Amino acid sequence: MPPGSEEGEGFGRLHRMTPVVHAIRLAGAVGAAAAFQLSQRSDRTDTGRWVVGTVGVLALVVLAREVVSWAVTRFRLETGELRVDSGLVTRQSKRLRLDRIQSVDLLQPLAARLCGMAELRVTTAGSERAAARLRYLALPAAEALRAEILGRASGLGAGVAEAPERALLVVPARTLVASVLLGLANWRIVLLLIGPLSGLTAAAGGARGAAAAGIAFGSLLPVLFVMAHHVWRQVTGLWEFTVADSPDGLRLRYGLLATRSQTVPPGRVQALRLHQPLLWRPFGWVSVRMNVAGYVGSREHVNTLLLPVAPRAVAQWLVGTALGGVDLESVPLTRPPRRAAWCAPIWWRAMATGSDDRVFVARHGLLSRTIVVVPHERTQSVRIEAGPWQRLWHLATVHLDSTRGPVRIRAAHRDEGEARVILDVQADRAGRARRAAGPDRWMGPTPGQARAGPG
Amino acid sequence: MRRTVAGTAIGVPVVAATAALAPVRLPVALGVLLVGGGGWLWAWAVIGRNWRSWGYAERADDLLVVHGALFRTLVVVPYGRMQLVDVVAGPVERAFGLVSVRLHTAAATTDARICGLTSGDAGALRDRLAALGEARAAGL
Repeated sequence: MPPGSEEGEGFGRLHRMTPVVHAIRLAGAVGAAAAFQLSQRSDRTDTGRWVVGTVGVLALVVLAREVVSWAVTRFRLETGELRVDSGLVTRQSKRLRLDRIQSVDLLQPLAARLCGMAELRVTTAGSERAAARLRYLALPAAEALRAEILGRASGLGAGVAEAPERALLVVPARTLVASVLLGLANWRIVLLLIGPLSGLTAAAGGARGAAAAGIAFGSLLPVLFVMAHHVWRQVTGLWEFTVADSPDGLRLRYGLLATRSQTVPPGRVQALRLHQPLLWRPFGWVSVRMNVAGYVGSREHVNTLLLPVAPRAVAQWLVGTALGGVDLESVPLTRPPRRAAWCAPIWWRAMATGSDDRVFVARHGLLSRTIVVVPHERTQSVRIEAGPWQRLWHLATVHLDSTRGPVRIRAAHRDEGEARVILDVQADRAGRARRAAGPDRWMGPTPGQARAGPG
Repeated sequence: MRRTVAGTAIGVPVVAATAALAPVRLPVALGVLLVGGGGWLWAWAVIGRNWRSWGYAERADDLLVVHGALFRTLVVVPYGRMQLVDVVAGPVERAFGLVSVRLHTAAATTDARICGLTSGDAGALRDRLAALGEARAAGL
């Protein structure tokens, strides 16, 4: 398929500034490497030069690759499909079915933002390869293309303006910073701090106090650096986290230097998890993560965040809204039988599960608390598992399988008979909910009519 | 099939060891034979239990798969959720004329496989499942 011999016109190209953006990005990396080498102030400057030289050459190679990729990439919106042709040696032509789109994201890394550029990323279910990345487009062009893709995917057709949105909430800066700082205190940091702190205590009472203190401070510095870096990344990354609701689904916008704007159409949220780390409990804060079939792979950790921090009531209300008006508080929860203590000694008391006619809810965690929610129409399969020790106590665990992501749903250590009832009820409810579920094209005809066509 | 495989895996070394040791030290050879024989009987029983634990049922809306004697699992996979049906036969399975059928949904954790079907049965099951899946397809 040689370029230029295509049928039809109307292909879009990436913006001319794309190579410049890549150059700025790579220059930043080379500059950082050079600065690091200079800061070493070693006698063997040859090594330093050699390292910087290698990084520079690598950067040039990457730049050349990006320039070629920019020159040969073209895209077009076709009937029901987004088509992206790319590749110089191995030509690749991707088609994304618009009714199967899981999310449409607009990303502006710092370098791109300085040039007024943006990356448009459209995902479908499956791996990272099932996503189309258009880097970079001019910001207005990217926004127009996003509106066009969402308009067509919703079933309204071509040439629809972007759907109006209703802001639901913004995370205040103070809450964000405080939550990130409190979030630092987890077991990983404790492990990192054990060495330096024990050094310090030894220094306080030891004979060679000064030397020990020096070593302790020396080993403390990298830990502090890592912590500072983590806080900086979290705070700038999640700055002004805004959640909004629109006919095209949930909209998330955040970022101070690099900004992201995610759109998750209705019915694409597979499952949700409210999590409350121990130190957040005095403040009543929780974070919310979600399973979305398009958000898999290396960026999963960033993508799947629905809310970094908010009071519990607000988060529950948001989850209810995201699922189309579900009240989590009204779902009756029951605990596993008392003998579950043989399988989960103390923490069995914190476990509880329950369901109503729309969602299944499970709660667990004695110190850090977690609540997971899955709507019946989104459960994939239902599983009962029972190991030998559990069978001795006539207990079994029910798993509701969801798509890949941070949320795992299970009702652990239930009575065997009850587990079987849960399984049957869930399978039945999931079946009924599936038949009643909204269409893939969320503004389109009802499911009965949509199913009449092929596919 | 597994009985034959396990039987061979345990039996051959035991017989070989006995044969090699018998001329040199008879009591040791007899001990090896005793332990090996015990292991063989145990494997026979365990594999039998495991084999009896496997089962599947095609219901109106979903497929039920049970397996495991010690760690028991029961999976319900709705036909509308099946993304892909795999028919797999490894080299040992092929030697016995057996195949397994694997079901995949959009969830990576769905573990639904049916082992030890004859290839005729497996083909028919796969076609039935594919047809049902198409009729009830429900997206994600």
